[in-house]
Order: sequence, then C-alpha cells, then structure tokens
Amino acid sequence: MAMLKTILGNLLRPSRTRAPADMPDVPTVYRGALAHDAARCTACGTCAFVCAPKAISFTQDPGVSVSWHFFIGQCSFCGLCAQNCPTQAISLDAEVPTGMNSAAGDGLRLESIVRLQPCTRCGAAHVPLPDAAIAALWGVEEAERGYCPDCRRWAASARLRSAFIPAAAEEVHHER
Amino acid sequence: MPYSFPLGPYHPALEEPFKVKVQCRGEVIDSATVEVGFSFRGIELLAQKRNWVEVITLIERVCGICSNTHAMTFCMAAETIAGIEIPKRAAHIRTIIAELERLHSHLLWAGVGAEDIGFHSLFMEVFSLRELVMDTLEAISGNRVNYGMNCIGGVHRDIPDPMRYLPALDALSKGLAEIVIPTFTENPTALARTRGVGRLSREQAVEWAVVGPVARASGLDIDVRKDQPYLSYAALGFESVTRPEGDVLARVVVRALEMVESIRLIREALLSLPAGPLRATEGLPEIPVGEATIRTEAPRGEAFYYVASEGGATPARVKIRTPSFVNIPAIEAMVTGQPLADLSIIQASVDPCISCTDR
Ligand code: SF4
Ligand code: SF4
Repeated sequence: MAMLKTILGNLLRPSRTRAPADMPDVPTVYRGALAHDAARCTACGTCAFVCAPKAISFTQDPGVSVSWHFFIGQCSFCGLCAQNCPTQAISLDAEVPTGMNSAAGDGLRLESIVRLQPCTRCGAAHVPLPDAAIAALWGVEEAERGYCPDCRRWAASARLRSAFIPAAAEEVHHER
Repeated sequence: MPYSFPLGPYHPALEEPFKVKVQCRGEVIDSATVEVGFSFRGIELLAQKRNWVEVITLIERVCGICSNTHAMTFCMAAETIAGIEIPKRAAHIRTIIAELERLHSHLLWAGVGAEDIGFHSLFMEVFSLRELVMDTLEAISGNRVNYGMNCIGGVHRDIPDPMRYLPALDALSKGLAEIVIPTFTENPTALARTRGVGRLSREQAVEWAVVGPVARASGLDIDVRKDQPYLSYAALGFESVTRPEGDVLARVVVRALEMVESIRLIREALLSLPAGPLRATEGLPEIPVGEATIRTEAPRGEAFYYVASEGGATPARVKIRTPSFVNIPAIEAMVTGQPLADLSIIQASVDPCISCTDR
C-alpha cells in the first residue's frame, strides 16, 4: 500500500525533475576548467609529477623558453596539480570544462610559454621566479633579483662567508 | 531436454560485462558457471609504475561506485608502512565519506534491484533519494564520483559547516522509513520476487567464503567495522545487521537496515567532528621500506589491500582483493534449482561490481 500512496501523492506534487534554476549550487570545491598562469609558473615540474594520467607535459626550446602543456582528454580533474603547485599557478575553476573528446583525439590543449631570462650576473638562461616567491625566499635584495639559481647560491654563500671573514668574501667577488 | 544458455557478457540486468552460463532443465536451473575478466585493466601492475601521489588517483578508479573505499584503504596501508597516524578530524571526515558512499551504493543497488523485478516506480523513488546523497557528496568533495578526498596522511578537503548536511539526512531517513523499506518488505509484488529466492545457507556462505551484506544475510555476523574497528567506528559505536534467512529478501533487508545505521553514523560523526588539522604530514609523501595489509568494509563487503614499499618513488606491489571477487562465484550456489526467470534478480542481489572484480 505504501507504493500506491506514494504514487498518488506524487500525482499531486510538482515534477521532481530539476529545472536548471533548481539545480544545487556549484560547490566551492568543484574542480572544473583548468587554468594556468605562465607568469607564476617556475617550470618546477611538480604538477607533472603528481598527474597520474600524464595530462601535463613540458617541452623546451633550449636557452629560450620552457613550455607547459596540458591536454584535457587525459585530465581526470583530480585537482592534485593545483593543490601541489608551490606558486599557485594552476587553478581549477567553477566553470564547466570545455568539450572532452577521446584520450587520443582532439580536445582543449593549453600551452603556456615560460620565457627564460639571462642571469644579470653570469648571463645563464634560467626560469625567472615570480616576484612573490623571490620576496619570500630571498628578501628584496635588488641586486639578486635577476640571478640564476647558481648565482643565488653563490651570493648566499658569499654573504655567509663575509659574515665570518669580510676580506675573503671581497676576494671571491673579484675572482669571478 | 537439458539445454545450456549463456547470459552475458553483455548483460540484460547489469551495466557491466560478466557471463553466467546456465544449464537448464525446462524452466529450472541445474547448474551455472560464472566467468569474469571481460574488462581487465591491469591496475595492480600500473600501480607499480606510478608514484605515491599518482597511485591514489589510479586506485580511486578501481571502482566507479566505491571509489573512496579503495583510495582510502590504499592510503591507510601507506600510512601503516610509514607509521603515520592521521588526525582525528581526518578520520571522522573519512568515516563520513565512506558511509555516504555506502548509502549511495546501497541506494543504487536497491534501485537496480527494483528495476530487475520490474518495479519501475520503486526504482524512481529510490533514485530520487539517492540524489540527496549525491548532492551531499558533491557539496563536500566537489564531485559526484571519484571524490579525491584522500591523501597519504589525511584528507584533502574539510567539512567546514557540518550542520548544513543534517536536513538531507533527515529527508533520507524519512524516505527510507516511509517508502523504500515498507515497499520492499510489505509490497506483495516485491515479496513474490524476493522471498525464498536464491537461498544461500549459512554453511554455504562459509563454504563460498562470501563477505559483506551477502554473508550477513546468511546469518554470518562478519563486518570489519565491528571486528577490527578502524577510523572512527569504535568511537561512534557501530552495530552490524544480520538476517538468518539467506534469501534475496534477507539481502535487501540487511542493506536497508545498514543504510539506517549509516545515516546514524554520519549524523553522529557530523555532530562530533573534532577540531584540528586535516593532514598529519606536509608536502609529498615519502614511504620507507615495509609492507602492510589492511582490511576495510566496503559497501559490498571486506576489501583487502596488501601494499609493499621498497622505499622508492613507487609502490613495489599493490594487491587488491575486492569483495565482489569473492561474492560473485557464490551466484553458482544461489541459482541452482531456481527458475531461469529469477536468475537476474539473484545475480543482482549479490550486488556484483565487475569494475573492481576485473580491476
Ligand atoms: S604550474 Fe606550478 S607545479 Fe607546475 S611547473 Fe609551474 S610552478 Fe611547478
Ligand atoms: S587535475 Fe589531475 S589529472 Fe588534471 S592535470 Fe591536474 S593533476 Fe593531472
């Protein structure tokens, strides 16, 4: 009898099929369309490391640029790339992702080009760090901003040495 | 004249491929042979080629229904090897997601079962209730399937406002108590198709080593949540549900009452969500040399994981034994002597999940 009562009750109720306006809100944690900000990316490779279906890959133009590639057909929208990116360069937004075709076929492909910059000290091409990362890691020492990782290491050890033996540090500085 | 009859692998009752070859004498089934393996994907081998972060995403895809169970059990194994104890809040959140998943799995099953006995209006009612669970899971995790909640050392996402989900639980208990349970247990149409059908006695249940609701419907009181409490089950006070009859009706009733118990567990976990961090570790996990076996109670029964690490970037071995893998063969014992027309509901009553059986 429970079923008969339910069915009669349903006759008197409005339709339960949801109209677009009655759909539940898109949750804030929804993992939708993926966006990448080349200005923040340091090409560290963490996103490719955590991406199980290998939707993210890198190509290089040696000495000129590093390109970050994303193929939507392989993405599983797990969100791990966005969660693990140290500079928050990746975000999965509330928008619905654009059409996804087969894993091998066509679909959205993103490419961001991270241009290499010559080191202001030795001239070696390197990926520039985002300003915020530089400020957090090395303070705002103007001269060291454009250094490559090697020169940053050199500068750090020179600072350390000069704290103990000021003269030795001077010498190293001239040697190079 | 005896004749044999292949049912599947393209299945009339289920969406996944598996085959039952039945020997019939007239309308009655003499014997049956079950074949699986039509959608084998080699996940265990793939898992040895993925690092400890990627492998969670992979393991989550062992099953489309109990995706969380697999990712969670794998993470628990890795945590055991690394000696990580997850924070209390993370344990509660994992429990909530696991029980929500059980609700959605059992409701899905109840809908498919209703459809198999030709009861479409009940199927519609059950699936509209299931939407409540799916919406809750989506609101918490961001997705309706593959929630991506687990990481080694805790959970990825918080439940910031636990009280928000209580009304959906109330509506769900009401729907279960007023429509689903009475219809399955009192409606003459439903009873005619389920009572006394597909019996598996207690002895047979032991012999075929079934697990989960199938075992509990045959009077075997086994449930990992009770026998070896993990996560927050000991704190929340879990009680298992058993039935002695061993027929399809008993399996329906066990699952229905388990849903009631799940709702209680979720409500209590939401109300008593402890404060604290979500993860015990920071950054990418490092798993030392070691091995671990973990059992958890998936919606279909005991899921078993063996994970070995050689200290490298990837697991050295991931062995997955899913509950359906042991439950599906018992179909052979259940259908013997039954009319051919009951074959589809008897199979469905096991709640076979081919995706995880063929992982
Ligand atoms: S997007 Fe983020 S994680 Fe990926 S390479 Fe760039 S900085 Fe690293
Ligand atoms: S969301 Fe997941 S699958 Fe998609 S690119 Fe990021 S890590 Fe890879």
